[in-house]
Formats: sequence, C-alpha cells, structure tokens
Amino acid sequence: MIKRKLILIMENKPGALVRVVGLFHQRGYNIETLHVDSVKDFSVYKDIEKKLETKFEDNQISRLTIETMVSDDLMRQILRQLNKLIDVIAVSNEETTYLKGVLLDENLL
Amino acid sequence: MQALHDEGVELIFGYPGGAALHIYDAIFRQDKIDHILVRHEQGATHAADGYSRATGKPGVVLVTSGPGATNAITGIATAFMDSIPMVVISGQVASHLIGTDAFQETDMIGVSRPVVKHSYTVFNAEEIPKIIKEAFYVATSGRPGPVVIDIPKDMTAPDNLFDYSYPEEAIIRSYNPPIQPEQDQIDRAVEAILIAKKPVIYAGGGAIASNAEKELFELNKIIDAPVTNTLMGLGIYPASHHRFLGMLGMHGTYQANMAMHNADLIIAIGARFDDRITNKPSKFAPNAKVVHLDVDHSSVSKIIEANVAVFGQVKNSLKLIKDTLEKKLDSYNSATIQPWHEQIKEWKSQHGLNYDLYKDQSDSHPILPQAVVQHVHEITNGEAYVTSDVGQHQMFAAQYYHFDKPRRWINSGGLGTMGFGLPAAMGVKLAFPKDEVVCITGEGSIQMCIQELSTCLQYNLPIKIININNEALGMVKQWQDMNYGGRHSESTYQNSLPDFIKLAESYGHEGIKIEKNSELKDGLKKAFAMKDKLVFVDIYVDPSEHVYPMQVANGSLENMWLSKDKQT
Ligand SMILES: Cc1ncc(C[n+]2csc(CCOP(=O)(O)OP(=O)(O)O)c2C)c(N)n1
Ligand SMILES: [Mg+2]
Repeated sequence: MIKRKLILIMENKPGALVRVVGLFHQRGYNIETLHVDSVKDFSVYKDIEKKLETKFEDNQISRLTIETMVSDDLMRQILRQLNKLIDVIAVSNEETTYLKGVLLDENLL
Repeated sequence: MQALHDEGVELIFGYPGGAALHIYDAIFRQDKIDHILVRHEQGATHAADGYSRATGKPGVVLVTSGPGATNAITGIATAFMDSIPMVVISGQVASHLIGTDAFQETDMIGVSRPVVKHSYTVFNAEEIPKIIKEAFYVATSGRPGPVVIDIPKDMTAPDNLFDYSYPEEAIIRSYNPPIQPEQDQIDRAVEAILIAKKPVIYAGGGAIASNAEKELFELNKIIDAPVTNTLMGLGIYPASHHRFLGMLGMHGTYQANMAMHNADLIIAIGARFDDRITNKPSKFAPNAKVVHLDVDHSSVSKIIEANVAVFGQVKNSLKLIKDTLEKKLDSYNSATIQPWHEQIKEWKSQHGLNYDLYKDQSDSHPILPQAVVQHVHEITNGEAYVTSDVGQHQMFAAQYYHFDKPRRWINSGGLGTMGFGLPAAMGVKLAFPKDEVVCITGEGSIQMCIQELSTCLQYNLPIKIININNEALGMVKQWQDMNYGGRHSESTYQNSLPDFIKLAESYGHEGIKIEKNSELKDGLKKAFAMKDKLVFVDIYVDPSEHVYPMQVANGSLENMWLSKDKQT
C-alpha cells in the first residue's frame, strides 16, 4: 500500500462533498488528506468542456484533492465508485481519468 | 402533482403528515393519479418496489418528515440493494426551521444517503418540475435505484406560485450511464465463447432490469450453454428449458454450483458475484475465464476479476454478441460442448432436487414446505406473480416454483428484508388486478408488515397468502442447528403465535388452516377458488426441515451440504 493522490472535479451542489466523504467511510477506505477548492481558472479544463459539450461557469465547479493509502486493486474500485456519484464530473489518479462514466487513459485533471 | 402526472405516474403509495399536507391537499383536488394509503411507511416503499419489479416502471412513494421518512428507510434500502427504480418524496419542515430541531425534523438526505442512488432537496419551488424530471431519469437509467426528493413544507405552499412547464428531457452533464458497448469488447467476448468447452451462462437481476430475456434466449439458441440464474435473476431464462440448471449459490442446485465450479467460461450477465454466489472468492471457479456484461463499471472485477468486460445495457450487449457470433458461425460447433452437457446430466441425476415430494399425499409424514410450493405451482399453472419474504420459505419458493417469465418472482435478494412480501404483493396486484398474486411467507416475516392486511381490504386486493408455518425463525434455527450445536437461541416463540385465521378474519379476509398432509392439496385448491377474496392460508409444516443444498462456509462452490449429515 502506498499513498496515492486522487483528483476530482464535481458540481458545486449542496451535499456533493458529503457524498464523496461518505463513500470513503461506507466502503472502508481511509482519507489521509482532503483539500477542496472552488475552481476559478477553467482554462485547464478545456478538454473536459469540449468532451462534455458544456461551459463551466463561476461557482459551478469544485475541485477535490484526496490522498489515500490503498492497493492498486482498491484504487481502481475507488475510482469506479466515485465515478458513479451523480455529481462527480471527472475523477482521476495519476494514469487514468473517469470522465462522466467513460474511462480515459490519461490524466485530464 | 402536475409534474408527477406529466412524468406518467399513475399510482403513488403513501402516508400523510404535517410536512406533506400541502401535497396531500393537491392530491385531493385532482383525479389523475391514484394514491394508496398504506398502514406503515415501510409498507409504502415495499409496495412501490413490488409494483416496480413487476412492471419495470418506477415506484413512487410519498411520506411526511421525521418518523414518516425514517419509517421509509428500510424499504429504500431494500430497493437500493436490488437496484429497483423508485422515487421517494419526503416532506420536510419549512425552510426557515431546518437545522433548529423543529418538530418532526430529520435530516432525511443525510439518513438516506448510503441507501440511495441520488437525492435532491428543493430550495426553490420553481425547481420542482426540473428536479422531478431528473429524479425519474436517474432512478430508471443506468443501474437503476431509489432517489429521494426532500421538499420543505413552504415549497409546496399553495401561495407559492410560479410559471409551470415540464422539461422534455433531463440533461445531467455529470451523469452518463453506458448504453451501447464497444465493438472490441464484443469481439473479445465472442472469441472467448468460440473456444469454450465448458461454458456457463450466469444471469442475474441486471438482466431483468434491462429486459433482456429475448436477447438472452436468442443468443443461447446459438451457444447452447447451460444457464443458471441468481435469486434475483429467476425467470430471465425459462425454468422449464432443458438447458436451465436452476438457481446457483448458497442454496443453489447441485448441478448449477458444480457447473460454475468446473466451467472454463462464465458469461456473467447483470450479476455481481455477491458473497451468496461465490462462497470463498479465492476458491471460486478456478479454471474459468470470466466475460462480464454489466451497465455498472464498479460491479465488474470487484469480487472476481473479469477477463473480458462489456459495459453497456446488457440487452444491447447480448444482441451485439449474437450478431457478431452469427458471422463466425463456421468456426463454432456447439457439439464440442456435448461432453459438458453429459457431465451436467450426470450431476443432476446424482443430487438434483427431488421434484416428486408433493406426490405423496398420505399422512405418513408431516407437511413438507417444498410440497406446499409445488402444489401452489401446479394450481397456478406456474403463471402467478410470487412475492416472498426472507427465510427457508423464500428458498423453497425459489427452488420449487419454476418461473418461465421474468418479473414474476419478487423478493428482497440483496437486503433480505423480512416484511417485504405482503406489501410487495399489494403493489403487484394493483399493477395486474386480473393476475394471480401469491405471497409465500413465513409466520415470522408476515408479522413484520401484517398491518397491511387492512390496506388490502380498503382497496380490495385478493392476494393469496401462503404462510409456511414452521413455528420458528426457521432459517435462523437452521444455522443454529448447523453451526451452533443446535442451540436455538431466540428462534422460537414458545406458543405465542397469533391465531392467523382469526387475525385474517378480523381484517375482513378469509382464513384456512391446514395441518395434515392429506388436506394440503384440497385446502390450497379451496383457497385459490375464492377468486375475489384475500385468503390467508396458514400451513403447519415439518419444523425440522432444512434447506439443501447449502454451501459449506468458506469452501468453494462444489462444497455443499446435501442433507443434515451428508457433504459433497
Ligand atoms: C428485518 C429482518 N430481521 C431479521 C432478519 C434475519 N432473518 C433471516 S431469516 C429469519 C427467519 C425468518 O423466519 P420466517 O419468516 O418464519 O421464515 P422461515 O425461515 O421460518 O421459513 C430471520 C430472523 C431478516 N432477514 N430481516
Ligand atoms: Mg418460520
């Protein structure tokens, strides 16, 4: 088990953060660190905007950085579970990104 | 109410209270949607759930805040575990009171969060149409599940007016369930099928959710593989088909579990390798490649690693596999799996279930629960909707009532909720008033939602309740017999059971008591002949009977108890 970093962007809606944190608790995954920002600079997410055919606006999107101690298998499962949350737009570890349910072999975040 | 009507809702199950009174007044002043008044909010959720399982349409529930909402939780969790589409609208205290520990305030969103697919709070009345549209879309698409909408009382106040329009479609940019699988996944699945010598199709509730019975049947016309179903999948492949192995898992048939264990290819369709299926995962099907078709990414390779994963609506995936396989037919010869069929036939003849138990109608032995189910099957021509509760009676029903069609077998598989059977049967009967609806239950389970007998009278729901009465929490007792030296801790009632016949009669229904094997068949016939009546049939069965086969704890699928003293 090594420390791994996950990045999520999600809709800034009431209850969205609790769902992410709750999922870690419910599935027995541990959170080492957690950092939440509201996204101001959307230029880094141009690819995602294009893929989703949408335009992000101020105060719409939050970015979460989570560090957790897990094995490879569990990491994949965590990514898939997070991807299932309705308010999560994209979630990625170092190598892959789940974007709206589609798995991409790149780190878009 | 207008939004629900625009969504196509015809039926709501609910129970009123302070925070929902504005909505209830709106119900009174319309006549498009019927409301069924249950006797407990748990009953409302199970009834909506039963309605949904039988029809494929989402079930709708309306409850008030606080205790109304918390009473609904068990039913929401039941629907969540079995991926049943449901929309639950809960009243909430007025916005300005939220967070003040107001009368009947509970954080419903928080309490329900681990057991819903998604949830919404209404902050502006104008959002109601959009939220309802989204809630139904989320509940019914992808891997279905329950969605809660919490509505503070002021949001439904009659003076809170706005320009109403119902959205045509829900677009949620952060939600995109897979529909069509990718062709390269399909190609890999087909390659695996072409070289398999011992294939097994293992289909579960996801195949029913996707309405894939035709596609599965058509595909297997080509492959000709043996098929097993999970407890949730019964009916997706006709039980009377000669390739059907029966249910697998904890109380699965000998041949189904042996086939899975010895397979070289498992084609998993909308099934999730639950622990009641795999036994110990590290010992599960050691020689099998796994092709897994599912709509939910997180179900694949969660317990058992899939060699080929096909993401999409399984209905579409099955169709594409068939189309692709058809093009390669010259390299497929179903005769190569003939020895496999021979092997399965042998297993079946060695230790298959004994379907002749009901033929002995003498009083030389007490009534056998298996025989009860078989008689019911015969009398209803195998065409009834059968709901069940949880326990031995549920397993006997699953083993001995043969389902040839999907959505006929209605039970709480994932959560295993006692009390599910009767309210679920109400939901089914309301959806299909002309069809026979049977609730096969136990004297323990039926008492958990017995109050719904009153609802059945109010709405005239002539369900047949088959109470397999072993005067014990039989499944608990069976585990105590097998794993706790026969110490029956708190699993019997010391002669405190009610007189179910009088009970049924006091609710305005009929009751029939059957105690002797020789009276079983006629008693049941009499009950089913009373077409317009709810009949409570209280059947005293052999209390020492166990459910077999039963998986040996921590073993592989081939390790089964076949009777009290015999293991494989
Ligand atoms: C709400 C709930 N509480 C407890 C259980 C645990 N449990 C599983 S089966 C069972 C016994 C059920 O008794 P009965 O309904 O009489 O069925 P039988 O096994 O005797 O056929 C119990 C207590 C459960 N599944 N659900
Ligand atoms: Mg019992």
